[in-house]
Amino acid sequence: MMGRAVANEFAKMRRLRVTPVVFVMVAGVLAVSCVEFTASGFVESMGDPAGKPWQRLLASMSFSVLMLSPILLAVLASRQVDIEHQGNGWLLSRTSGLAPGYLCRVKFVAAGAVVVAATVAQSGLVFAGGALVGITVVFPAGQWLGYTALLVVVNLVLFALHLLLSARVENQLLGMGVGVLGVFFAVISTGLPQWLSHFLPPWGYYELIKPVEYREDGSLVSLAPSYVSVLALGAAGGVLFLLVTRQFDRREV
Amino acid sequence: MIITHDLGKTYGNRAVVDGLDLRVPEGCVYGFLGPNGSGKSTTMKMLLSLVRPTSGEIHIMGRPMRRSTRRELLGHIGSLIESPPAYGHLTGRENMRLVQRLLDLTDNQVTQAVRTVRLRDHLEKKVRDYSLGMKQRLGLAMALAREPRLLILDEPTNGLDPAGIEEIRRLLTKVADDGTTVMVSSHLLGEIDRTATVLGILGNGRMLFQGTRDELFARSVPDVLVDTSEPQRAAALTARWHTSRLDGATVRLSGLDDKATAGVVSLLVHEDIEIHGVRRDSQSLEDVFMDLTEERGL
Repeated sequence: MMGRAVANEFAKMRRLRVTPVVFVMVAGVLAVSCVEFTASGFVESMGDPAGKPWQRLLASMSFSVLMLSPILLAVLASRQVDIEHQGNGWLLSRTSGLAPGYLCRVKFVAAGAVVVAATVAQSGLVFAGGALVGITVVFPAGQWLGYTALLVVVNLVLFALHLLLSARVENQLLGMGVGVLGVFFAVISTGLPQWLSHFLPPWGYYELIKPVEYREDGSLVSLAPSYVSVLALGAAGGVLFLLVTRQFDRREV
Repeated sequence: MIITHDLGKTYGNRAVVDGLDLRVPEGCVYGFLGPNGSGKSTTMKMLLSLVRPTSGEIHIMGRPMRRSTRRELLGHIGSLIESPPAYGHLTGRENMRLVQRLLDLTDNQVTQAVRTVRLRDHLEKKVRDYSLGMKQRLGLAMALAREPRLLILDEPTNGLDPAGIEEIRRLLTKVADDGTTVMVSSHLLGEIDRTATVLGILGNGRMLFQGTRDELFARSVPDVLVDTSEPQRAAALTARWHTSRLDGATVRLSGLDDKATAGVVSLLVHEDIEIHGVRRDSQSLEDVFMDLTEERGL
């Protein structure tokens, strides 16, 4: 049943403008990250380990992700769920034996796969961009992949939150508003101490997963991302998502 | 096909459905009637497990409708509740394919359902460009594709023009002829009068009547009409014992059985009032329905 339902979710994505949204998500991050190529001293640093060209790209990418993901994930979730409100799809699924919470979980699996793919594509394309412009310094695979993995977790938690919000409140403006507010939270968390960012889940976690940071003197330092915090966020988000969708299952139409 | 025992649904202190004992025989078209707000939709939603009953039990196809049996039973029940479900950004064919995949149906089942509702020529159109009648037919095709043993339709003719209503009527007859039990609700008797073989009339969440058309007629006693030379005096005389009023030159007496009618005739003869004729008023099913619902102040 789950497999057929997931296949249906991919079929429903047709003409839902998922591709343009994902394109903006990936191309936006790539474009903003690539601005770093034009920054002063970047070209000179490409062959110099002390210049940390890969870390400079990572810093640029983590900033662009933080600016774009909250709103685009809200749009993506809203598109998936609004069709159920508009087309009486909750009822159609329910009378076919698929409870609303189950449908939300199915949507999470299907559209979540798109989110994961987009996140991996962002990371991969920024790496490819770096390689193409000719960075010859050794690629910090662990740091890069670690950041990508943590970003996947934060994006999925945020996406799940927006799915629930869009399913619970029929007016999709609320989800969009929260998306915009999310950008604001994510941006202000960059100026907060790390411990305070923990209190702005999940948006504050974009700051917690940041692998590199510019100091006031302009130097770029590597950070130890909060793996434990992000894993805790993922676990708590997963449990909450299950609990809320179970509650949706019992909701009357 | 459907049996409920003491089925009830309460929201706060308000009982929307109260002590309902439904009996829907297999193979019939069950016309579920009642004024707006009488509890028809809530009852149908309870049958489909969309709303949890506050009290009572539901048995469908001999099995209790429970969380554990819901999915399997729903596989044999087609339904159309509220507005017809369909994704506007997809075509009719793509919508049908969703149902096909979800319920693991064959191409033949889908083709047959589409043919039944005569929607074959519109399958490539996006549903957002469909008329209400076409959406209704697509909803029916989705319900029929699983080849249901039971079809539950909540006011399927709502918002349709006369041609659309006739189309749905024809469809219901065809589906029932093919052996599917159909339960269809309406607040207008005229819409399902000709298709329903069994009627259930609901008022304020309670069953006012359940049975065949003939049984419904038998339950209601038509007025007795007396044509006489002195209608005013006859009306005044009979008003002492019966509900009587003047209808032109005719005296109309309500609620009289045959014995009471004989008594009225004797009385008038005894008072030397000439009687030109005594007959029962002709009554349509609509009148009976209205009597029944108005009687209960609905």
